[in-house]
Amino acid sequence: MIVSKLFKKTLLIIIVLFAVIALTTLFSSGWNLYQDLTQEYKSKGTAIARSIAGSSVDTLLNRDVSTVQAMIDQFTEIIGVSYVFVVDAQGELISHTFIPNVPAEILNLQTSRNVEPTDIFIKGRGDFIDISAPIVEGAVGYVHVGMDKGIIMAQLKAAMIRQMYLLSLIFIASVAAAYVLVNRVSQPLNNLTEYSRKLAQHEFTAQVEIHSKDEVGLLAHTMQSMAIELSEVFERYELALKDAIIELQNTLAYLTTVIDHMADGLLVLDIDGIITHVNPALSAMFGMRESDLMGKSCRDIFGDDLAEIVFRSRHDPKAVFTTEIALAESRTGKAVATGIQQEYFPLEGTEKGIGSVVIIRDITSEKEVDRMKTDFISTVSHELRTPLTAVKGFTEIIKMKLEEDILKLVQIHDRKSEKAIMRVRDNITIILSESERLTKLIDDLLDIAKLESGKVEWKTEPVSMAEVISRAQDATSALFEKKGLVFTKTIDDSLPELSGDSDKLMQVVINLLSNAVKFTPAGFVTCAARRSNGEVVVSVIDSGIGISEGNQASIFEKFKQAGDTLTDKPRGTGLGLPICRQIIEHHGGRIWVESRPGKGSVFSFALPLSKVEHAELSASKP
Amino acid sequence: MPKVLIVEDEPLIRLLLEQTLEGLESCGVEVCAADNGIDAVEKIKAERPELVLLDVMMPKMNGFEVCSIVKQQLQLKEVYIIMLTAKGQEQDRLKAIEAGTDEFITKPFSIVEVADRVKAVLKIRM
Repeated sequence: MIVSKLFKKTLLIIIVLFAVIALTTLFSSGWNLYQDLTQEYKSKGTAIARSIAGSSVDTLLNRDVSTVQAMIDQFTEIIGVSYVFVVDAQGELISHTFIPNVPAEILNLQTSRNVEPTDIFIKGRGDFIDISAPIVEGAVGYVHVGMDKGIIMAQLKAAMIRQMYLLSLIFIASVAAAYVLVNRVSQPLNNLTEYSRKLAQHEFTAQVEIHSKDEVGLLAHTMQSMAIELSEVFERYELALKDAIIELQNTLAYLTTVIDHMADGLLVLDIDGIITHVNPALSAMFGMRESDLMGKSCRDIFGDDLAEIVFRSRHDPKAVFTTEIALAESRTGKAVATGIQQEYFPLEGTEKGIGSVVIIRDITSEKEVDRMKTDFISTVSHELRTPLTAVKGFTEIIKMKLEEDILKLVQIHDRKSEKAIMRVRDNITIILSESERLTKLIDDLLDIAKLESGKVEWKTEPVSMAEVISRAQDATSALFEKKGLVFTKTIDDSLPELSGDSDKLMQVVINLLSNAVKFTPAGFVTCAARRSNGEVVVSVIDSGIGISEGNQASIFEKFKQAGDTLTDKPRGTGLGLPICRQIIEHHGGRIWVESRPGKGSVFSFALPLSKVEHAELSASKP
Repeated sequence: MPKVLIVEDEPLIRLLLEQTLEGLESCGVEVCAADNGIDAVEKIKAERPELVLLDVMMPKMNGFEVCSIVKQQLQLKEVYIIMLTAKGQEQDRLKAIEAGTDEFITKPFSIVEVADRVKAVLKIRM
């Protein structure tokens, strides 16, 4: 049987309290009883002594000792009276009830004139109260009566035992009552404790059977309603959690599927360059199993080139780094590495690099296509140029032979022959100029193809724009002379040097100048160069036919010469300006046109000064 | 008698070059031709021409190889080589310089330019 702690405590308190009360009452009542009994015996003894003294005067005066003896013997039969003796005035023992002899302690009392009760102890007989009464004021003698204290004690003991029985009964009764009472209180508390323990283990369906209307009942009721609310809250949270988990799993599954179905290889590395994730495409690219890659060092598996860009991506997370990498089966891949940053890092308030992600794309076929394109360009270049060289060369020879050998010998007799010779001469000139144009077209086509495919090898050298313009002027002077146009140039004296490819930039200026000449029937062409806001701006200004606004936007696109090619006589390849744009944009600059039909055009390009030069120039400016 | 060797696999271009240099024959210049690199090396070894007009793209052995065999392997420094490179093929020019060419003319060339260059090299005045 489990005794509740509350009951144990109550029991302890009851015992202590009861013991204190019981002992106190026991002692006080015992003491009182003792006092009462002693008093009673004393008065009883006194009465006996006085009665003996009264009735024994005559007898004593007559010295009738046997009568006295008989009388005192009678009194010894009274309960409590232990002994009686009579002494005469001289203290001589006249008669007594001691059997077989008078104890020594009595002899001290024989001569005493004290009539106050005296406690004496007689060896072998016990404690007594000696009460004496004088006979005729002591003139005849004294009567001593010994009251037995043992009887008092015995009575006292009996009374005490009775009281203890009673107290024990009361104790048992009160314990039983306390048990019942405590149980009545503690049982609901125990139930409540058990209930709250179940609640703590999320057993919200548990029931508690307490219907009392006291505090415990109230508490139980409150707990129950709390449990209901809690279970509802938990249920809601559990549902929300389940939904969130499902959503998370779906998202994760979706992401995993996406990553697994990527055509590109995905490689995720931690901050130490250890592989933490790969997708099947990547494993397949390198012909390795995922398990062979996970947890390995990037450098060990993929070599120094990839490790290098991974390293750099970690240190510059905003930038993208690429490299080529050899794949399995002698294929080639292009690896693109970027740093991964944990975007939200509330404790430090800054972004923190946590690794790198590398995308690897199989570019074998692209490279093959690229190679084929390059081959195609050089093949076309050769295959087209060879017949063109023949056409042009033989035409030149024909022209030469015609002029030098044939026409000298032929006599021009009539207008018809003269006209025919003129026609042949003109036609040969047309063949020559058209083959020139075709040559130029092939050159431009190759140029633009190479620019677009990034096959051009760019030089990086200090470029003086004044010198470039001067060289372009020399190269185009024949055109100006032929058309009778005036060329002027206005170039800032302190034009800073640029960094770039001077030959390519000269190609641009030549192109713009020859265009200006081409579209300017009469007037002037000016080339201006100036510095403006960290840039060098070069403009070619003409007083030519101009370009309509609608055409201005498209002239930098391939084969988009202004005007209708079907009705207007085409005067170029339509590739000059696109080539210019490619070259200028490669230098980080821009090219544009401002024009009004009939008034002329201004073609300008701006090239940025390098940062160092810009800073130096700005600093040296007053 | 100065000799000029034309090395060109395209018959028409070879013919064109031959015709271009025809006028020099009156000045005592002997013009001969080869249509591939191997033949060219043989002819250079055998005939020791003063000048070689050397095309780049040829079957069997290209112009760069011919040039480097002549200039570096055979140490025939006195043979003046003009390579005919395609315009816009900058790498070809670099390769030609590496191979040891004396100069180059870009295709498509003007026959007047070719004739002038040949005359200048052979120091012929007409």
